[in-house]
Amino acid sequence: MSLITLIPLFPLLGFLINGIGFRKVPNSLVGIIGSAAALASFACALSLFLNFSGTPQLVHVFDWITVGKLNIAMSFQIDQLSLLMLLIITGVGSLIHIYSIGYMHHDEGFGKFFAFLNLFLFFMLLLVMGSNYVVMFIGWEGVGLCSYLLIGFWNKNVNYGAAARKAFIMNRIGDLGFLLGIFLIIAHFGSVEYADVFGKVAEGGYLSGDKTLVAITLLLFVGAMGKSAQIPLYTWLPDAMAGPTPVSALIHAATMVTAGIYMIIRSNIMYSLAPETLEVVAWVGLATAVFAASIGLFQNDIKKVLAYSTVSQLGYMFMGLGVMAYSSSFFHVMTHAFFKALLFLGAGSVIHAMSDEQDIRSMGGLRKKLPITFITFLIATIAISGIPPFAGFFSKDEILAHVYEHNKLMWAFGLLGSIMTSFYMFRLLFLTFFGEFRGTKEQEHHLHESPLTMTAPLMVLAVLSAIAGFFNLPHIFGGHAGLAEFMAPLFAHSHVETAEVSESTEIMLMVISVVAALASAIVAYVIYVSKKAVPAADGAESGLQKVIYNKYYIDELYDAVFVKPISALSTFFHDVIDFLGIDLIVESIGKLVKTLSAEARLLQNGTTGFYLFAMVLSIVALLAWGLQGFFF
Amino acid sequence: MNAIIALSLSGIASLFLGFSTNRKNLLITTLLFVLVALGLNLADWNHEYFWFNNMLKTDNLSINFSSVILLSTALVVAISRSFGDDEEHTHPAEYYAIMLFAAAGALMMVTYENMIMLFVGLEILSVSMYILTGSDKRNLRSNEAALKYFLMGAFATGILLFGVALVYGATGSFNIHGIGEVVSRTKKGMELFEGGVILYAGIILIFIGLLFKVSAAPFHFWTPDVYEGAPTIFTTFMSTVVKTAGVAAMYRLLSISFPAVYGLWGNPLVWITCLTLIVGNITAVYQQSFKRMLAYSSISHAGYLLITILAKTPNTNGSILFYSLAYSIATISAFAVLMIVSENKPKDGKPDESFEALNGLSVNNPFLAFVLTVSMLSLAGIPLTAGFFGKFFIFTDAFSNVSPLFKNILVVAILMSAVGVYYYFKPIIAVYMKKGEIAEIQLPLIYKITLIITTALTIILGIAPDLVKNMF
Amino acid sequence: MNYQPSDYLPIIVQLGAALAFIVLTMVATHWLGPKRHSSKKDDVFECGIESIGDARTPISVKYFLVAILFVLFDVEIVFMYPWAVNFKELAWDGFVEMVVFMSFLLLGFIYVIKKGVLKWEK
Repeated sequence: MSLITLIPLFPLLGFLINGIGFRKVPNSLVGIIGSAAALASFACALSLFLNFSGTPQLVHVFDWITVGKLNIAMSFQIDQLSLLMLLIITGVGSLIHIYSIGYMHHDEGFGKFFAFLNLFLFFMLLLVMGSNYVVMFIGWEGVGLCSYLLIGFWNKNVNYGAAARKAFIMNRIGDLGFLLGIFLIIAHFGSVEYADVFGKVAEGGYLSGDKTLVAITLLLFVGAMGKSAQIPLYTWLPDAMAGPTPVSALIHAATMVTAGIYMIIRSNIMYSLAPETLEVVAWVGLATAVFAASIGLFQNDIKKVLAYSTVSQLGYMFMGLGVMAYSSSFFHVMTHAFFKALLFLGAGSVIHAMSDEQDIRSMGGLRKKLPITFITFLIATIAISGIPPFAGFFSKDEILAHVYEHNKLMWAFGLLGSIMTSFYMFRLLFLTFFGEFRGTKEQEHHLHESPLTMTAPLMVLAVLSAIAGFFNLPHIFGGHAGLAEFMAPLFAHSHVETAEVSESTEIMLMVISVVAALASAIVAYVIYVSKKAVPAADGAESGLQKVIYNKYYIDELYDAVFVKPISALSTFFHDVIDFLGIDLIVESIGKLVKTLSAEARLLQNGTTGFYLFAMVLSIVALLAWGLQGFFF
Repeated sequence: MNAIIALSLSGIASLFLGFSTNRKNLLITTLLFVLVALGLNLADWNHEYFWFNNMLKTDNLSINFSSVILLSTALVVAISRSFGDDEEHTHPAEYYAIMLFAAAGALMMVTYENMIMLFVGLEILSVSMYILTGSDKRNLRSNEAALKYFLMGAFATGILLFGVALVYGATGSFNIHGIGEVVSRTKKGMELFEGGVILYAGIILIFIGLLFKVSAAPFHFWTPDVYEGAPTIFTTFMSTVVKTAGVAAMYRLLSISFPAVYGLWGNPLVWITCLTLIVGNITAVYQQSFKRMLAYSSISHAGYLLITILAKTPNTNGSILFYSLAYSIATISAFAVLMIVSENKPKDGKPDESFEALNGLSVNNPFLAFVLTVSMLSLAGIPLTAGFFGKFFIFTDAFSNVSPLFKNILVVAILMSAVGVYYYFKPIIAVYMKKGEIAEIQLPLIYKITLIITTALTIILGIAPDLVKNMF
Repeated sequence: MNYQPSDYLPIIVQLGAALAFIVLTMVATHWLGPKRHSSKKDDVFECGIESIGDARTPISVKYFLVAILFVLFDVEIVFMYPWAVNFKELAWDGFVEMVVFMSFLLLGFIYVIKKGVLKWEK
């Protein structure tokens, strides 16, 4: 068995052991098995990466379905893109598994939690390793399922269950688009294998703006909107914070939500030939980035802030994709995986210390009690705000530079978003770690730094968040854009026309964004540290702030526009169509069959003589019927 | 081929093992015998050769069919946990021996090259089944069933033999390849002796003999009575091994000897297929006994199998094997659950085999409930189970056949599989929705393992059919 | 090898002749033989002893078993005749085959004895 097939196998084994042996495997072993499965996959992925020759490798595991000319195989493809994704998933995944040992060990569903985490890893690995759209779709649905299971992990709370359902349903809407896209691909190309499809696109002489390609890419993008929480299908992600914090870090920040970006980069050759789609992608991304950032400004739940921040950062990535800056977007996926996982895990550490308190208005001054958490959180905040030389600066700046080339207005909005990002992140940091402690005495008494299993992953991620920018150091800083170079073969056929940004412009853009980020950080400092302002209690906000605090009433809007009419329609169907269609027509057909059956049953009267007579009669009939042709 | 010898010898061996007193070892040794036979059978893979003066011919298709038969036999043996507690009146060693002989007969039916061998194999299988049907000596229903089966079976065998004689008269050969040569040399068989009258009559009579064995309408009348009367474990054997062997024998004959005269036998068989589908499915709807319902279900599945024999496409080999396998494992699961539940809940001193016996199973034994559900879904042909792909392949085959008659079959088959959903869901509803008292069920380990294997196989084949289909 | 139905005529003729012979002899004896009835003569003949009770008494199943086994083993002798006739031509191969055949038969016999089928009193 090759190394490649081993990678998804380890988490699957972990899932089977922990899942079947739930409540039987001792808790001390559960965490070790789960983490070992993730680490083993990481080791395999690393060795693949180190021995990678530059040409994609295909591993055929088995033929899955063969129908007519369509053959769908369970096979894996290892190339630059899947390798990088593998490293991120298994690497960050391993860290989060280790962190969960500390975070979840009091929970009674400890074994179940690790089983689900491993199952998630398995499906996520299928998603990125599959060599065709169908395998990707299996992974896609699988991670959706795991996400559902883990958001509703504490299923005794009804609200959490509702959040899980919401995530599932919103994702289904997106999945429908994805599925239609796959059908269109099958109908048009007769295959779902990446190699076949992209080969046909590359040689097919498709003109830019080909209608089929636009349709396919748009449908696929609908899938991406669902999974990667873009407007209008983003509202599930903030609610998904109901799940345990490691889940938010792994699934709803670092890996699953980037699946949409992975898919578009994978299909870049088709997207590059569909400029209309790209335009849609870019604007949807921009809108999401700014919109979500503005909601993040006034949230008071530590995880909600991070959730909106994730939505907003995903928006940046789509914006990058929209201007064909594929490798820059991927760069941001990578750095974002590091610093956002770190932020969530840090938030988890804070929540752990605060005895499950998530409201930042009750925190404050935690930096002395939780020094490691504070420092790592600080690093992550600087990274996400785009302040050099930390990771976020390089990746976000690359995207913005490409956007500037494409459309100046877009860039301006993007910059606005990044100013807001810097503000809400520093607001979060200051309110949590600076000032006076505002919680209850009891909480203060319990404050403690988290155990090593939790802080160690924080430190590793902090180092990565700090230095990841140098993986793709741009030329002006003397780097050679290593990541972009590594990924270049992926885009060989997609005619990416990126006008080189002149060095002076690039420097100017950088200076502007850094200054803007720093300025808004300072503003946050002034408001929340110098003036010691604390956000108002629920219901006390006013005006625009109130609208933003209530997330622009989007959930209420969806409820009024979609949910209520649909439930009215369903009542109508239940009362009228159901009665006419089901009760009258369908049931009478059923009754007819039953009557026939009652009659037919009587033939079986138990008399051997009759049976033989019927047989003889049939034989005679058969012979007579056949032979009449010979004689007459 | 060596498998037939191994099975015969191990049948004799297990007769003598019966003199040792330990009944438990018998099951394990018999299982071992069957697995050895399975191994020997697979060892012949890719070796095509004749045996015993051209009496038998091993090829990959026959090896595949033999494997399905031996696998079913092994699974049936594995769930043959007990033959009742009556030490004096049950003879497990003899039952196992007869089952082994029957399996040997079934293998002869799928490897025959000479018509004589078809007859001998069929008789070994049938006579064994007559005995096993009546093995519950103290049960009047079992006796009745055995006698009915014997009377009608003897009748059918006679007809088959008459058919063989007529075909010999028409073509001058007992050898199926030889017959095929003679038949294809003459255009549509019309230049044969008496313009093909004798050939036609012969083919039809042979068919009737075989259709009786696979219980196709209107030669199915014995099926419900015999299935219900026979001890459940042998009903399982009958509905899997006998059916697979019968279908395989028929397919072998049709695809080797008579493809050139499709026109002669195609039309009658189309009507028989439709009739089988309709009778099997419609009559099943009204049944109150789970066991009897499964008997009708086996009739209807014979109909589906006939479709693919008729469709005659290059995919037929794979489809027919896949369907036999999917049907066999699902049927074995269903009968296994029925057996253990009904024995656990006697009614008037006899196992209760009605649907009510299943009420409330999901509460008392969720594992059995799940096994039953999967097998029912598979028999009904619901996606994600093997049965779905079985039907799917068969319908695709039928669809790719150009004859307009085939579109009619397809319509009937699809309508009837919709009817099938109705009665296959009855046990599922009984298990999950109805309340009932069921005593604690003790599952022996080997029983549990068998059920896990059949259920897992059903699901795996339903998710990745090509895993197995490519082997065929 | 091109038979016509008329080629089977001799078979029908033979069949008819055979049937006719049986019917003819039966009818002929019936007509030709003299018949004298008397109460003593029409009585059931049972070795000169007066018959008592019902003729249909149940017979032990063992009787049938022994009878069937006798027929079974007796008929197997049929195979020995052609073998004996062709003994030299078949040579060692034939001998080995016969030994295999006989050993199967023997195994069956041993089984029958061990099963206690031949124990008359039990």
